[in-house]
Amino acid sequence: MSASVLGLTGRPMWQLASSGSAQVAVAERDALGTTARLAVWPAGSLRSAVGAVDRELERLDLAASRFRADSEISRMLEHEGEPVEVSAGLAEAIAVALAAARWTGGLVDPTVGGALIALGYDRDFAQVRMRRWDAGEAPEPAQVPGWQTVRLEGTLLSMPAGVRLDLGATAKGLGADWAARAALAASGAGGVLVSLGGDMTAAGECPQGGWPVLIADDHRQSSRSSSRWSPTQLVRLTGGGLATSSTATRRWLRAGQVVHHIVDPRTGMPAAGPWRTVSVAAATCADANAASTAAVITGQDAPTWLAARGLAARLVAGDGSVLLVGGWPAADNGRLAPTLPGQLGQPRVPAVLDLGGRP
Amino acid sequence: MDQEYRGGRSRLPGPDDGDWMASGTSAGQAATRRDAGVRQTRRVSNWTVAALIAGVAATSGYFAHAAATPAVSTVGTTQQGAVSGGAQKPSLSHAVVTSGGSGVTVGSSGGAGGTGGGTVTWRDN
Repeated sequence: MSASVLGLTGRPMWQLASSGSAQVAVAERDALGTTARLAVWPAGSLRSAVGAVDRELERLDLAASRFRADSEISRMLEHEGEPVEVSAGLAEAIAVALAAARWTGGLVDPTVGGALIALGYDRDFAQVRMRRWDAGEAPEPAQVPGWQTVRLEGTLLSMPAGVRLDLGATAKGLGADWAARAALAASGAGGVLVSLGGDMTAAGECPQGGWPVLIADDHRQSSRSSSRWSPTQLVRLTGGGLATSSTATRRWLRAGQVVHHIVDPRTGMPAAGPWRTVSVAAATCADANAASTAAVITGQDAPTWLAARGLAARLVAGDGSVLLVGGWPAADNGRLAPTLPGQLGQPRVPAVLDLGGRP
Repeated sequence: MDQEYRGGRSRLPGPDDGDWMASGTSAGQAATRRDAGVRQTRRVSNWTVAALIAGVAATSGYFAHAAATPAVSTVGTTQQGAVSGGAQKPSLSHAVVTSGGSGVTVGSSGGAGGTGGGTVTWRDN
């Protein structure tokens, strides 16, 4: 990575990376506890695109981060059990999470926050993995209240005391959708690709053949082959969203047991299915993010579940074997062209989102 | 009943034309004229169909060509060489980003992920 820096006051610095083309600029910085990466063409649009991405990431972080004391979702705890008026941004993030819960049949559930905290994921992950646990502190199943306990009417949010929201299964995807849209608008022409921790959205015009994307266990991999990780693949994304969920990352040791961040709402414990990594392409990154998480959680039936929803997916089993579903390209450089618009999670922000089923 | 040729065409005698035999035309002459008319009609129909097919093919070809011609494209366009604001679409040979699990960057100097190279200062498992 070059030493070039795009300085933006008060935020982590963007650093330029090589794209292999003078027409395409790529930059990266830390964001949301992971890395944000932006590719844009024409390259001259980078500065305006970076500014737009920064604003959207800050908006998402300030609204939905569990790990910021000043975030809306943290401050809501001061009003436990009471209806609370939230910002339009947080309302959209919660609406997307609830919609995902509905169309995944509860496989993705934003009320797993309490279970994640019980597992030890109660702070930024960089600190979680440093924590030491006593032998008697083995992880135990936690009760998941269920997404039906949450009611959102416009921007008025109601949920019982004790419910802890975690929007991790959809928020990064939504952030990528927001950021890509804003970056494209700021650029005015060409195309952008925004990745937040490996979940990405392509907007505008893609380069010839599509944006080249490496599919891997971990979004920080750049090598085509590694003995530590499962086989990689190069695909070309022509638009929409692409997300990968993996139990191979964000893992930590708790009292001698390996736990990870993808919680099965049915058990309150880390998902224990056969898939270590699932990548899904969908119309939006939020939908792709929810689907890849749901596939890891649903386990053995994931290929059928994904195919029934018309989603192209790549599943990597624990032994490294790969299964392709729903038109995912078999060869390197194959194109991924998610159907547009056809959003799985529609409607996004209805005037009144009453998802029913309240106990 | 007018059985004279007009402009190369004549009305064919039919079963409803009850007086055609009485007009002095023999049945054989009528049959001959009828057969000639049918042949002429078939010739005209065949040429009409051929012309229509050729026309449709030419029109389809034109539109197919027009659709494939580089132009300002929308989200998801994958055609080669499309342009935006007069600029040729770039061609990328290697990955600009990686889709994978969202690991974290530790003690970051910004060097993580993608294809940019540099120092990777992370490990979360």
